[in-house]
Amino acid sequence: MKSICTALIPAALLLATPTHAQETLKIGAVVTLSGAGAAWGQALLYGAELAADDVNAKGGLEVAGKRYKVQLVPYDDKYQSGDAVTATNRLMSDDGVKYIIGPMGSAPALAVQPVTEPGKVIIMTLGFTAKALSPEKPYSFRPNLTTEETSYPSIVWLVKHFKLKKVGALFPNDESGQQIARDLEQAYAKAGSSMSSKEFFERQRVDMVPLLTRMMAAGIDAIELDGNSPATAGMIVKQARELGFKGPIVRNGGPATPEIVAVAGKAATEGMMVSSLTDPDNKAVAEYAQRYQKKYNKKMNGFSPAFYDGTHMLFKAMQDAGTVTDSEKVRNSLEAIKDYPGIQGTLNWGGKAKYGINHQIESPFFISEVKDGAEVVRARCNVEQCVDVK
Amino acid sequence: MTTSTLLAQALVNGLIIGLLYLLMAVGFTLVFGVMRIVNFAHGEFYMLGAFAAYILVSQYELPFIAAVALAFLFAVAVGWVVEEVVLKPFRHDELNGMIATIGLAMILQAGALILYGPDSQFMPAVADGAITLGAVVLPMSRLYVVGFSLAVLLALYVFLGHTRTGRALRAVVQDTEIAAAQGIRTRIMYPLGFGIGVGLAAVAGALMAPLFSVSPFVGATPLLKAFVVVILGGLGSIPGAALASILLGLAESVTSTFMSNSIAEILIFVLVMAMLIVRPTGLFGRSEA
Repeated sequence: MKSICTALIPAALLLATPTHAQETLKIGAVVTLSGAGAAWGQALLYGAELAADDVNAKGGLEVAGKRYKVQLVPYDDKYQSGDAVTATNRLMSDDGVKYIIGPMGSAPALAVQPVTEPGKVIIMTLGFTAKALSPEKPYSFRPNLTTEETSYPSIVWLVKHFKLKKVGALFPNDESGQQIARDLEQAYAKAGSSMSSKEFFERQRVDMVPLLTRMMAAGIDAIELDGNSPATAGMIVKQARELGFKGPIVRNGGPATPEIVAVAGKAATEGMMVSSLTDPDNKAVAEYAQRYQKKYNKKMNGFSPAFYDGTHMLFKAMQDAGTVTDSEKVRNSLEAIKDYPGIQGTLNWGGKAKYGINHQIESPFFISEVKDGAEVVRARCNVEQCVDVK
Repeated sequence: MTTSTLLAQALVNGLIIGLLYLLMAVGFTLVFGVMRIVNFAHGEFYMLGAFAAYILVSQYELPFIAAVALAFLFAVAVGWVVEEVVLKPFRHDELNGMIATIGLAMILQAGALILYGPDSQFMPAVADGAITLGAVVLPMSRLYVVGFSLAVLLALYVFLGHTRTGRALRAVVQDTEIAAAQGIRTRIMYPLGFGIGVGLAAVAGALMAPLFSVSPFVGATPLLKAFVVVILGGLGSIPGAALASILLGLAESVTSTFMSNSIAEILIFVLVMAMLIVRPTGLFGRSEA
């Protein structure tokens, strides 16, 4: 299939624009492809590659009358800032790229920006840190939602839906765990509830029973799982149900439901409410997941559609700007894209209030109830609010 | 929940977890008693046991009891071979023997990493539901495991106290030379003692696998607990390990229920340091070089 395409492209080009030979447009990818973050790194790279496949199948990306074959140049940053900077320098000086998908991690994203911003290289980062976007960083964009966008509207809905007064939560005892604890505490307070008991545990801990006993003795209505890895979250659900906790269990944060169900079992997870980035009824995403599975022989990670859409938006920006080399013009066109019809739904740039610049994607997301191990959508959300599904 | 039921719940939780620690610590202290080697690979045998149980139950669909028994036999066999091949030259060389076990731990962990990857695996719970006594909840899955754990410890007690081989092993633990002079074949006792010691770690791993997770890194925490237990109880002392395990489980559970988890973690190591200062041999340890 691919070889037929590549064979046909020059022929098609010859007919369309007989005077121009096809040129290559290189797009860099600085992502984690080995170790703990590999599933997310692949989600980014594969999303960008599939978007590139789309335009290459049509004979290349047409910008100002020229057609460009899009080629991804990936580097593994091993989730390390140092490696990310090395990769970025190589991409900019050796490969001459003006556009980078990634970096995937927060620390690598912050580490490459002092190089990419003066070099006017557009980056599409997954990094959840609030510092990744700012008015001083006009070339940095984030095509995915972070908990900053999703947690408050979800929490308001959950507090109302379950009439929550006292919520308990456990967090890993490190910088990220304590940060999430502070954020959630404020979000629950603002939503008219309170996170009345919170517990911190060392990351290697597997026995949560004493902590859960203490929280249950404090009389909590619900348990919040945000801030925990999928496996730990599953362990908390399992042990809480074993101790006889009957109240609702909710999870804000990244996609983790299949893992939690695998750990805790279907019975323990029944009725759990989770925030999710994809709507199982969304046909476009379902088709995308199939393409992903077919090409890479891996289950699609929840972050991938955002980067597929994000890469397409970047292509559109190049077409609108009529250039692939002047990244300043491309940046202006990318910023100006409104109501982009992506596979996730209608996409817009926002985030001025939080980050001082409208470089944060605003896409729809969902609250789902876990029924027999699978997610069923209960509310549709945008960054303002969640609305019940009738 | 009233304070008294909360206390009862905390004590029950502590007792359960203490029994699980005991299984881990008893093998560790047995190996030290026989070999005078601090076995840093003990945690990796726990990991081997957990993997064996996981694979036998989820892939070969064996009953859990059979999986635990096979995990034990597998670990005894591996332990026997390891002792004969790797540790034999270090029988009277404690420091180098210790370093050899660190190397062994790394090899086992890296081997598991190559074979199974870094992700945690999970197996279904052995039993569902819970028993409630008044307001105190006893999860069935844990009770089941505690039952097994007690049975294994009882079997160990009978073996060490009332069988010929067990008594020979104890004689070797107490004094190798005198034991040899009495006609005990220490040549067999060394690998047997090591094998049974790590076999107990594997049983602990197999029993905990359905409660917690299975990954190449699961051995580290139980090894640390075993260290704490043998320091408190006295290195080489089985009754000391028994008492210290239960005390550790109770202390952890009660402090993390009534104060906080961070204080519990601090308290355990304060206890260990206090014990090392006041009574370096532990509760029941022998004072010898």
